[in-house]
Amino acid sequence: MSTTLKKTIPVAIVFVVALLVMMDYFIVTPPTDAAGKSWTSGVVKDLQNWGIILTAFSLGFGAVNLFYFHSKHISRRTPDQWMFSIWLLIVIVIFTGVGVFMGPTSTSYNWIYNASYFALSATVYSSLGFYMTSGLYRALRIKNIESTIFMVVGVIVLLKNAPALAVYFPTLSAWGSFIENVITTSAQRGIMIGGALGAISLGIRTMTGKETGFLGRLTEEEKGGGAP
Amino acid sequence: MLIIVWIFILGGMEMAKKHKPQFRKMTGLDALPEMVGRAAEMNRPVHFTTGLGSLTDSVAPQLVAGLAVLAYVTELCANYGVKIIYSVYQAQVMPIATELMKEAYVKAGKPEEFHAEESVRYLSGEQFAYASAVQGIAERERPAANIMIGPFYAESMLFSETFNRIGSIQLAGTARGYQIPFFAVVCDYLLIAEEIYAAGAYLSGDPVQVGTTRGQDYGKILALILMILGILATAAGSSAITSLMGM
Repeated sequence: MSTTLKKTIPVAIVFVVALLVMMDYFIVTPPTDAAGKSWTSGVVKDLQNWGIILTAFSLGFGAVNLFYFHSKHISRRTPDQWMFSIWLLIVIVIFTGVGVFMGPTSTSYNWIYNASYFALSATVYSSLGFYMTSGLYRALRIKNIESTIFMVVGVIVLLKNAPALAVYFPTLSAWGSFIENVITTSAQRGIMIGGALGAISLGIRTMTGKETGFLGRLTEEEKGGGAP
Repeated sequence: MLIIVWIFILGGMEMAKKHKPQFRKMTGLDALPEMVGRAAEMNRPVHFTTGLGSLTDSVAPQLVAGLAVLAYVTELCANYGVKIIYSVYQAQVMPIATELMKEAYVKAGKPEEFHAEESVRYLSGEQFAYASAVQGIAERERPAANIMIGPFYAESMLFSETFNRIGSIQLAGTARGYQIPFFAVVCDYLLIAEEIYAAGAYLSGDPVQVGTTRGQDYGKILALILMILGILATAAGSSAITSLMGM
């Protein structure tokens, strides 16, 4: 693939689209319409609609991938896999059939969604409690100074959230609140500021064509002559 | 403020053309060859996921950062002859991921070894269906290494604990503050927030890309100065800084 197709055109599209979206967000560019919105509003809305259409197409691509992958497992009778693959394809066909012929907002579709996926989803989410407990067990083992601090802080916050203990030991509540509202919040905000600056930096690199990770790892020639 | 940060970053890029800035060591990214090497020795695959990100929402930069690492890891896997499994949540990412993984195999000189339908797996667009499918891959295929870079939500603990239980070596990175502690507790290596955005620059070694992170650091210094000035001004009864920041 030529460098123009592989890098120049995608980077140019990213630059123009990003510029339009940012202009629409930050600047009211004349000419404006009757509602006082700049001309970029309509363009950005169109771009978003294109995005929705492309996403819908890619969903079809995903469905083909699923069918191809699981049909192969079924035909090969892959141990511990093929029966799940059959079940998955059956479920896809049922959901698609009900959705297409009765509508995705129909009572039947809602029923099968709520009776199967919704219940299973809640079950998986609930199982998170067990995973967190086993993770917590490992985290609270005292191995060095850092893990000791972690354990002490963790126990204070844990006890603070136990209603009975919070009633009998109000000091715990104050300590726990201090840890949550001062120490944790300030650290979280530090992470947020750093993350936001990182995202801006990545955005600028992407817009200017310096970040090409999403296009694959380019050779020095494809990067445009290579680094000095 | 945004314009100033832009100037810093563009300035950092220009300065980097004259003098290559130094990057501090990022253990998690340095460990990637070791992780893939371990998978080669154990004859097991490497699992990669970019989490729940979509290319059209606010977490898109995290997803793009994850894709940059995916390209690097795929190239490593191609060189070491290790199978890579990329679990996809958003179908819109599939064509991009397929293309960049194919390119990585071509670059490694082994295009015939890349099988898109085996390596790029669309699982589901529903959070817990996707989470269960990833857990299923972990249990059935027992990857030797698990790399998770991108936006993660409640499934972070499900993934990290499952892969930990099957003995995978794990690298996680996210800018979502609530999930960082979960990853920190369970995973072997962690990239925190801005580190994932710098990953592409770090792995590419391109001075211009590294230069942008220098500009980003100047932005952090500016934020710190404004915070200190804000605290002092507010303590003195002035709202000048908070008004300037539009707060």
